[in-house]
Amino acid sequence: MIRLENVSKVYPTSARPALDDVSVEVERGEFAFLIGPSGSGKSTLLRLLIREDVPSSGTVWVANWNVGGLAGRRVPRLRQRMGCVFQDFRLLPNKTVAENVAFALEVIGKPRHTIRTVVPEVLDLVNLAGKADRMPSELSGGEAQRVAIARAFVNRPLVLLADEPTGNLDPETSAGIMTLLERINRTGTTVVMATHDRQIVDSMRRRVVELSAGRLARDDNRGVYGVAR
Amino acid sequence: MMFVWREAFAGLRRNLTMSIAMVITTAISLGLLGAGLLAVRTIDRTEDLYYSLIAVQVALDEPTSADDRDCSSPVCTGLRGELEANPLVASVEYESRDDAFARFQRIYAGQSILQLVRPQSLPATLRVTMADPLRGEEIVTQYTGRPGVRNVVDQRSTVADLFSFLGSVRNATFGLAVVQALAALLLISNTIQLSAFTRRTEVGIMRLVGASRWYTQVPFLIEAVVTGVVGAVLATGGLVLGKIFFLDRLMSGRLLANTIPPIGMSDVLGYVGPVLVVVGAVIATATGYVTLRLYVRT
Ligand SMILES: Nc1ncnc2c1ncn2[C@@H]1O[C@H](COP(=O)(O)OP(=O)(O)O)[C@@H](O)[C@H]1O
Ligand SMILES: [Mg+2]
Repeated sequence: MIRLENVSKVYPTSARPALDDVSVEVERGEFAFLIGPSGSGKSTLLRLLIREDVPSSGTVWVANWNVGGLAGRRVPRLRQRMGCVFQDFRLLPNKTVAENVAFALEVIGKPRHTIRTVVPEVLDLVNLAGKADRMPSELSGGEAQRVAIARAFVNRPLVLLADEPTGNLDPETSAGIMTLLERINRTGTTVVMATHDRQIVDSMRRRVVELSAGRLARDDNRGVYGVAR
Repeated sequence: MMFVWREAFAGLRRNLTMSIAMVITTAISLGLLGAGLLAVRTIDRTEDLYYSLIAVQVALDEPTSADDRDCSSPVCTGLRGELEANPLVASVEYESRDDAFARFQRIYAGQSILQLVRPQSLPATLRVTMADPLRGEEIVTQYTGRPGVRNVVDQRSTVADLFSFLGSVRNATFGLAVVQALAALLLISNTIQLSAFTRRTEVGIMRLVGASRWYTQVPFLIEAVVTGVVGAVLATGGLVLGKIFFLDRLMSGRLLANTIPPIGMSDVLGYVGPVLVVVGAVIATATGYVTLRLYVRT
């Protein structure tokens, strides 16, 4: 589903590469943690996957797309098949919860009546059925993140990418978010989650890909955060 | 599709003062353009009107004017025969002093100038219709000073002053229209940039969710087009008011009543209005498109 082949990324403003010759593969339906300290290149890797940036060298594959070589006008198609969740939620501030979720469907041209039935279903899935008409500013962090997940998941993406989705949340709320991501993973959606939350990684016992200063440091199938090096 | 309209109107409301300034400037520019178009149309019509009536008038001297009722005197027949043989001339008509006075009475019926004019002050004339109205001057030079001729007047040169006046009115309005249009373009471009800047985070999120560049930018384009069309409608309204409260009064005055063909409501609403709407929409769209291409990179 996702394959990086000798991917390096050097930002023009810094000498040290943010990613240094990284090769890694994630199978369809897998749940993978991407861990590493702040600045190790986790966000950069995810940004390459959704073509927010292009690799300096190497090739990034998502499904059958060569993401780095994609023409600009094809990028929306790629992103429509991927869902993204971020630490800062990134909801559209002047749209309600339901409208935020509906937007992901409008963008791919889903007809109105489909949107009307699908949005409530997904809001139900993330336990926000009662808050469809709230504005993002009226939500708690955990609720906002669940709206973001609903929006990322509503058009059944091939891959769900989450960049520190629990970074702004307390442990209890984070646990709720993890339950949700697991549930989404069980529907067959590949999930890649960047985090440096040891507790979460240790409790899930999933695949762990660790980056250190832009290099691939470890790749365990059922890993924990801090094995002895 | 609902989305883009909602966004466009939200955008216009968000920068309300800018939107108003944009609409007003566009309206003024298009209004001037419209006034210029009306001037052109009036000039064309005036020319049509005058060129069909226009002639070179060979006024005869006092003895002939006083006595000759039907161009039977040797002086008159001689001049007439010679003019008719001239290849520049299409036809020649004789107007005696009495005919001239009768026509004068018709034209100025009920006006005080009638009291001042006696038949004796009007000459008999040979009205020469030119085969080519533009070459009247040649007849003027050939016949001025000839025996029996008082003077020769090419009516075209009298009317030429009117045309050159109308022409400069037209040029001035077009000039102002261009300057205003430039201001309108810059304002539209600027507002779009501002609009795009205020919404850059939002547009960024939309792009992440998979919205195409086109999808996120159409609202800005619609903002521009709405501005252009609303400006054109206001401009047309302004021209209608200008016609009713200014032109119609001016034209009904003594001086201009029969000089310039009036501008009808159908000229404003049926011709200039639609032209302005199309021009406004096209220019606004083009400005919007270029601005988005060059300055908006989200
Ligand atoms: N847009 C950017 N321009 C320049 N340098 C960047 C940019 N984004 C990230 N970096 C650098 O790349 C490195 C990796 O950053 P990042 O991928 O954000 O790491 P992480 O998400 O693991 O904290 C860091 O050294 C960071 O300073
Ligand atoms: Mg990061």
